[in-house]
Amino acid sequence: MSLLEVEGLRTGYGLLPVLQGLSFSVEEGTTAVLFGLNGAGKTTTVNAIAGLQPVWGGSITFDGQKISGQPATKIVERGVAISLEGRHVFPKLSVRKNLDLGAWTARKTAKQQLDLVFSYFPRLEERLDQMAGTLSGGEQQMLAIGRALMSKPRLLLIDEGSLGLSPKLAQTVFEVVSRINDDGTTVLLVEQNIGVLPYADQALVMEKGTLTFNGSGKELGESGDLRKTYLG
Amino acid sequence: MTLAFDPTTGLVSPLVHGLFQGSAYGLLGLGLVLLYKSNRIFNFAQGEFAGVAALVAYLFDTGSKGLPKVPYAVAILLGVAAAVLVALLTERLVVRPMFHRPRVVLLVGTVGVALFLIAVEGLVYQDIAALRPIDQALSIDPIFTRLDRVPVLWSDLAKLIMLLALAAAAFLFFRLSRMGTAILAVSQDATAARAVGISVERTSMLAWGLAGLTGGIAGVLLAVPPFSTTPGIFTGTILTTAFAAAVVGGITSLPGAFVGGVLVGLVQEFASADLPLVPGLGSIRGGGELAVAIVLLGILLVRPKGLLGSET
Repeated sequence: MSLLEVEGLRTGYGLLPVLQGLSFSVEEGTTAVLFGLNGAGKTTTVNAIAGLQPVWGGSITFDGQKISGQPATKIVERGVAISLEGRHVFPKLSVRKNLDLGAWTARKTAKQQLDLVFSYFPRLEERLDQMAGTLSGGEQQMLAIGRALMSKPRLLLIDEGSLGLSPKLAQTVFEVVSRINDDGTTVLLVEQNIGVLPYADQALVMEKGTLTFNGSGKELGESGDLRKTYLG
Repeated sequence: MTLAFDPTTGLVSPLVHGLFQGSAYGLLGLGLVLLYKSNRIFNFAQGEFAGVAALVAYLFDTGSKGLPKVPYAVAILLGVAAAVLVALLTERLVVRPMFHRPRVVLLVGTVGVALFLIAVEGLVYQDIAALRPIDQALSIDPIFTRLDRVPVLWSDLAKLIMLLALAAAAFLFFRLSRMGTAILAVSQDATAARAVGISVERTSMLAWGLAGLTGGIAGVLLAVPPFSTTPGIFTGTILTTAFAAAVVGGITSLPGAFVGGVLVGLVQEFASADLPLVPGLGSIRGGGELAVAIVLLGILLVRPKGLLGSET
């Protein structure tokens, strides 16, 4: 049984459908990467998994339990956390309070997770009392991922974690994500940066709300046509 | 030239009256700041939360309109509870369905709530309702002390103490409690708050409940002689100045609600008093309001975030 199973997922905005029967699964302990051009439905997909987007049809199952239709609070409690596209840190709260809020559903493990987050992102420990809105873009990205980790998730969703970062910083983020995965957290990344490919156990490519490729990162990397068509 | 200035009490009289009148503005302003801080909403129904509390407390205290006469303290509690209930219903029936609309839509929504509550109050009770002040209920001397022959009433002192206590409690709630931080988080980014598992609906209910609580406490403290309550009187007479006080203090600052309220009260009273320094000032009709307007506009121009506010 896969950790995450998405079956015939349909959703959209207002009357406009975005996902029209999307199906895929992610195995526990792997890093999966969802690629696609702007408007392909990648963010809608991870937001639906996280409970931030209403599901019109189909189902999302996490660890054998149906989570589609549940409020985000319950989904976080079950072990799914998301680092949103655009970072979405709480700008007028300190780094410390941002991280504390990340443990909203998991107070008992907050201290242990905080130490873990600092081990991934030592910079955050140096900036603990700084307002999150005054951090650099890279630091805000670290905070967004760190905050998501504070709930001790089994599945971490990271939406466009490298967006707006320098190639070097993006590489650093990918390396940390790889460490997070090595430490046992399953990761589903939404990316447009093909620099993440070496870290992907599974690669998914979306186009216009449907899946057009589902294979290993290596297969996608070697598939020149696919790479050219979807990743530029 | 009119010289109504009383040389026997000097500056003490406007000081005392300004302080207590300012407490009234601060009490209503505190609820305004609470909701702005948590929901980014200017709540025009805040005055009627106070009005509902005052009316319900009065009806139960006097046993009017077929309601049972209950002990004073119970009547006060029922009044405050009614304000909290009305605030929660406002959140559930008006604010939540429009939560993602532009804030101006919500602002107008709260105007609608205020008008609705005024109408309901009018249907229930059209007469003047003045609550018994605390000294009457306790059968004690209404005067707590005299400052340079100016009487300081228990009922006025209660306003000031309650304002201080509520402002401090609300400040500590937002500064130290997890739920307070969660409310701030929702106000800054509701999507991110949802993403970490915070129930936006629950925090919104809590913020409105607190606004109802402060409004209710304001109502039962303010609707005592020489003031009284009639339908819409809080909105018509205090709310506008309370808004000014909240903005002067800093619309995001809870201590600012106290500072702004007291400052506006003092400015109003001093400008209304016929002081020897400015002979005849007291004879200008609306001199107090004029002075408040000048202070408000001056602060908006020089320091738009208010005296203690941290953002515009």
